Amino acid sequence: MSSPSQPGRSALVAKLTRPVARPMAATYRWVDERMGISDLTHQLLYEATPRRGAWAYSLGSATLIIIVLQIVTGMFLLWTYVPSTTEAWESLNFIEHHDEFAAIVRGMHLWGAYVLLIIIGLHMIRTFVSGSYKKPRELNWIVGVLLFLMVLGLGITGAMLPWDQAAYWTAIVVTHVVDYIPLLGNWMQQILRGGPQMGPETLTRFFAIHIWLLPALLVPLIGLHLVLLRRHGEHGSWVNYEGVETEPEEVRKERMAKAEYPYPAIPSDPGYAVPVDLDDFFPSQVFKDAVVSFALVLIIFIMAVVVGAPLERAANPAALNYVPTPEWFFLPLDQLLVQFPQAWMIPVGVFVVPGIGTTLLILVPFLDRSPEREPWRRPEVMVPALFATLFLIFEALLAVNRLFNL
Amino acid sequence: MSVPTLIAAVSPHLVRVPISTGVASALVALLMLAHIQFAAFQQGGYIILAVTDFLGWKRKDERQTRFSRGLVVALGATFAFGSALAIFAVLVLFLGLWSQFFVELVRIMFWPFVVEGIAFIGEIVCLYTLYSQWDRLANVRSLRVGLELLLFINASIQMLAIDVVASYMLTPRPSNSLALNLINPTEIPLEMHRFVGNIAFAGAVIALVGGIRILFSRKPEVRAHGDWMGHYGLIYAIGFTLAQPLIGWEYAKEIQLHAYASWYSMMLGGLSVAFLFQVFLLGAIFTVGIFYLWRRVKLGGYRSPALAVCTALSFASWLLISTPSSLAWSYENVVAANANLPIWQGGLIIPWGQMIPFKLVALITFTGVAIVALTVYLKHVTKGNLRWGDAGRAQGAALITVGVAVSLIMALMGYIREDSRAPFLITNKVLINQQQNFTPPSSAGPALNGPSSVGIIVPWDSVP
Amino acid sequence: MADHSQELAKQRLSRRRFMIMTINGVGAGTALLIGAPIVGSVLSPVFAKRRTPWVLVADIGQVPVGVPTAYVVNLPINEGWAVPPVPRTVYVVKLNLLGQVEMLTLSNVCTHMQCDVHWDINLKAFLCPCHGGLYSIDGTNVGGPPPWPLFRYQHKLVGNTLYVRNVLTGA
Repeated sequence: MSSPSQPGRSALVAKLTRPVARPMAATYRWVDERMGISDLTHQLLYEATPRRGAWAYSLGSATLIIIVLQIVTGMFLLWTYVPSTTEAWESLNFIEHHDEFAAIVRGMHLWGAYVLLIIIGLHMIRTFVSGSYKKPRELNWIVGVLLFLMVLGLGITGAMLPWDQAAYWTAIVVTHVVDYIPLLGNWMQQILRGGPQMGPETLTRFFAIHIWLLPALLVPLIGLHLVLLRRHGEHGSWVNYEGVETEPEEVRKERMAKAEYPYPAIPSDPGYAVPVDLDDFFPSQVFKDAVVSFALVLIIFIMAVVVGAPLERAANPAALNYVPTPEWFFLPLDQLLVQFPQAWMIPVGVFVVPGIGTTLLILVPFLDRSPEREPWRRPEVMVPALFATLFLIFEALLAVNRLFNL
Repeated sequence: MSVPTLIAAVSPHLVRVPISTGVASALVALLMLAHIQFAAFQQGGYIILAVTDFLGWKRKDERQTRFSRGLVVALGATFAFGSALAIFAVLVLFLGLWSQFFVELVRIMFWPFVVEGIAFIGEIVCLYTLYSQWDRLANVRSLRVGLELLLFINASIQMLAIDVVASYMLTPRPSNSLALNLINPTEIPLEMHRFVGNIAFAGAVIALVGGIRILFSRKPEVRAHGDWMGHYGLIYAIGFTLAQPLIGWEYAKEIQLHAYASWYSMMLGGLSVAFLFQVFLLGAIFTVGIFYLWRRVKLGGYRSPALAVCTALSFASWLLISTPSSLAWSYENVVAANANLPIWQGGLIIPWGQMIPFKLVALITFTGVAIVALTVYLKHVTKGNLRWGDAGRAQGAALITVGVAVSLIMALMGYIREDSRAPFLITNKVLINQQQNFTPPSSAGPALNGPSSVGIIVPWDSVP
Repeated sequence: MADHSQELAKQRLSRRRFMIMTINGVGAGTALLIGAPIVGSVLSPVFAKRRTPWVLVADIGQVPVGVPTAYVVNLPINEGWAVPPVPRTVYVVKLNLLGQVEMLTLSNVCTHMQCDVHWDINLKAFLCPCHGGLYSIDGTNVGGPPPWPLFRYQHKLVGNTLYVRNVLTGA
C-alpha cells in the first residue's frame, strides 16, 4: 500500500535468482531429509526465555563464544609453537617479530583468556545473586563451578607455555605448591615436573595438560551445562518472579498450564516453575547475545592488535634481578602464600583456605534452599559471598602493591 | 628590599615559642588524634548516609529515612568542628611549632596538599546543600542520594591525598620524587586500612549513640529508635572491622620490609605493649559485638547455638591474643636479662603469646567467627524475628563498649604509627630534632630553594 | 509346567547376568590394559636414577669475608633427555666465626616457593622477590614465609678452587 512497486520488485528478484535458488533449495531438501537440519535448528532456536533482565543473561553465551575463540586461536598457534624448553621461546619470539598475523592470533588467545575469566566471573555473580542455582538447577551450578576451575587451570598452564621468565617462575611456584600436600606432595611435584627439578619434561607435561587433558574434559562438560540449561529452561532473576508467592492458586495453575517449552521447570518451589513474563529465545535473546559477544570479541581483537601478548626474556634461572609476577587472576592466591608463614601454616594458606572456599562454592545450592530469590532476603549466602568477593579484591590490591614496591 | 634581607630584618622580632620538643610533639599528637576522630566519622558517615538514604528510598523504610536526617545533622555539626581543629593544627602547631619540617613536607608533597585543600570546597558545597535543603530534596530523592555519594567520593579523594602524605612519612621511597612516592610501600595498605576503618568507626559511633539512647532515654519511642540505631551501626562496625586483621597484617608486612626499625619498635620494641593493648581492644570489639548479636537474637525469643559458639570462640581468641609474648616491656629487656627461655624454664617468654602462629590464628578466628555471626544475625533480622524497643541495659552497655573501644583503638593506632618513626619525622630522612622553629639565615641568601637546602636530609645508605 | 517356565526364566536371567558380568569384566580389563602403562609412565620420574657430578665453580681466594658473592654455575639437568645445562646461582659466603673463617655454599633457591633470592645491600639480608622471604647472611630464615633456612650445595675445595654438586643439604 505504501509502496506499490514493492511486489513487482520482489517478483523480479525471484525471477532473476531462480536458476541459483532452485537447485540450492533442492540440495538443502535432499540434505535435510537425511540429516534433519530443519528440525534441529527449530529445536535449537525455539525456546521461551524470561523477558526481564535479558541483557544480563547474555553473559553465558558470551562465555561460550570466547571459549570457541580460544580453541580456534589455540589450534592456529600450534602451527608455529614448539613445546620444548630450548625452542618454545624461540618459536614465539619468531611469531612476535616475523609473523604479524600470528602475533595477533597470539594476542587474541591471551586477551581472550583475560576477558573469558572476567566474563565467567560476572556470569557466576549474576547466577549467584539471582538465585538461579535453586532447585531443579543445582547440578548445573556445580557443573558451572567445575568449568570455572578448569578455565583457571587452563589459564595457569597456558601461562607456562612461552617459557620466558614469567612462564618459568610461574611453573616453578605452581609445581612447588603441590610439594606442600602432606605425604603425597613430593611425588606429585616430581610427576608434574618430570623429576625433582624443572626440566624439558616439565614443559611437555603442561603443554599436554593445556591443549588436551583439560579441553577434553572441558568440552563435554560445556555440553552437559547446555543440556541441563535446556532441560529446565532459563531461570532468569528475581525480577521475573515478582508477586508469585502471593498469587492465587488458580492463577498459578493457569500460568503453569500455559507455559511454553522448556517450562515448567520441575521440581521447583511453588510459583517459580515459570517466569511471569516470557519472550522468544530467537530472535530476542539471540540478538542480545550476538551484540554482547561481538562487543567482547571486538575488545579482544583491539587489545590483541594494540597491546598484543608480552614475551619477556627467555627463561634464565640464574637472573638475580628478576621479580616474578603471577598472572593477575592468581594474585589473591599468591598473596595467601605471603600471609601464611612457617612450615605447617603454608598448607593451610595454600590448600585449606582456597579448599574451603571452593567447597562452599560448590555447595551453594545446598546451603541456600529457601524459595527466596531476592538477594536482600538471602543473607545466609549473600553476606559470606560479599566478604569472599571483597577478600579476593583486597588480596589482589595488596599483591599489586607488594609487587610494585619491591 | 629583597625577600631574604626582609626576613633578616624582622628576625630579631620573631616570637620564640618557649616549649620543648616533647611538649610540641604532644600538642600535635593530641590535636591530630582528635581531628582524626572527626575526619573518620565524616568519611565513613557519608557512605553510611548514602546507603541508608538509598535503602530508605527504595524500600520505603521510614526508619532509615528518619535516621538519614539525623545523621546529616550530626555530620554537618561535626564537620565544622573537625575542620576548625585541622585549621588550628596547620596555622598554629605546624607553622608555628614545626615550621622547618612543615615547609619541607609541603614542598615535597605539594600536589597532594593542593588536592586536600580543594576537596574542602566540594565537601562544603555538598554537605551544606544537604544540610539546609534536606526536606526540599526529598522530592528529588535521586539527586539527594547522588549528592551524598558525591560527598563520599569527595571525602575519599581527600583522604587519599592525606594518606599519601602520612604513608610517605613512614615508608618513603629512597628518592624524593613525588610520582614515585604517590604509591610508596604502605600507601595502598594504609588507604585500605583507613577506608574500611572509617566506615567501621562511623558505624561504632552510631552504635554508641544508640546505646546511650537505650540506657538514658525515658521515652519508649526514642529507646526503640536507639535500639534500631545501635543494631544498624553495629552491623557496619563489625562488618568492616572484620576486614582489618587481613589488611593490618599486610600493612605490618610492608612496614617490616620497608621500615624495619619502625616495625621492630611496634612488634618487639618500646611500642609493643601499646600494640598489645591495641589487639586487646580489637578482641574486645569482636567479642562484645558478637555477644550483643547473640543476646539481641535471644531477646526476640530465639535461641541461637551458632551465635553462642561464635561468642565463645571469639572470647577464647580474645584471651589468646591478649597474652603478652614475654613478661617484659620489650624484647630487648628479655635479651638483656638473658631470659630468652619459656617461663617454666625460668625465662620470661610465654610461648602461646607469640605472634606466629598463635596471634595469627586468633586474628583468623575473629574474622571467620564475625562473618558467621553476622550472617546468622542478619538472617534473623530479615525473617523479622527482632522487635525494636526490646533492648535492655546489657545491650546498651555492649553498644557503648564497642563504640568506646573503636574510638580508643583509632587514637592508639595513630599514636603507634606516628611514634614508631622516632627518632625520625620522615623515616631515614628527617630527624625530629631541630625541626621546630624556622630560623631565617642571618646573612642574605636563598632561604627556600629546595628541600635539600633546609633541614637535615640523612642519606639513605648511611642509616645505622 | 509353571515350574519349568520359571526355571527357564531363571536360566535366561542367569545368561543375561553372565553377559552383563562379562561386559563389566571386559570393560574393567580394557581400562586396566590401557591404564597400567599410562600410570607407569606418569609415575616414572619418581623412580628415575640421577647422576650428580662435581662442577667447577671458580677460584674463590679473593672472596671477601662477610659479603655473599654470587657465582653462576651450569648444573647438568638429568630430567628427561639431554638438554643444555641450566645456569644456577651459588652464593659463596665466608663468615668470621670467633676468628675461624667458615665457608658456606648457599643455594639461592628460596625454601618457600623456590624463587631466586638475592643479597639485598639495604636490608643486609637475602630477599626473595616472590613473597618477601628474608634470610640472614648464613642462610637462616629470619622473616616472611620461608619455612626452612637456605639449603647448601655439597662442595669440595681443591686448593682455592671450589667445586659443587647438585646435592642439597639442610643447614
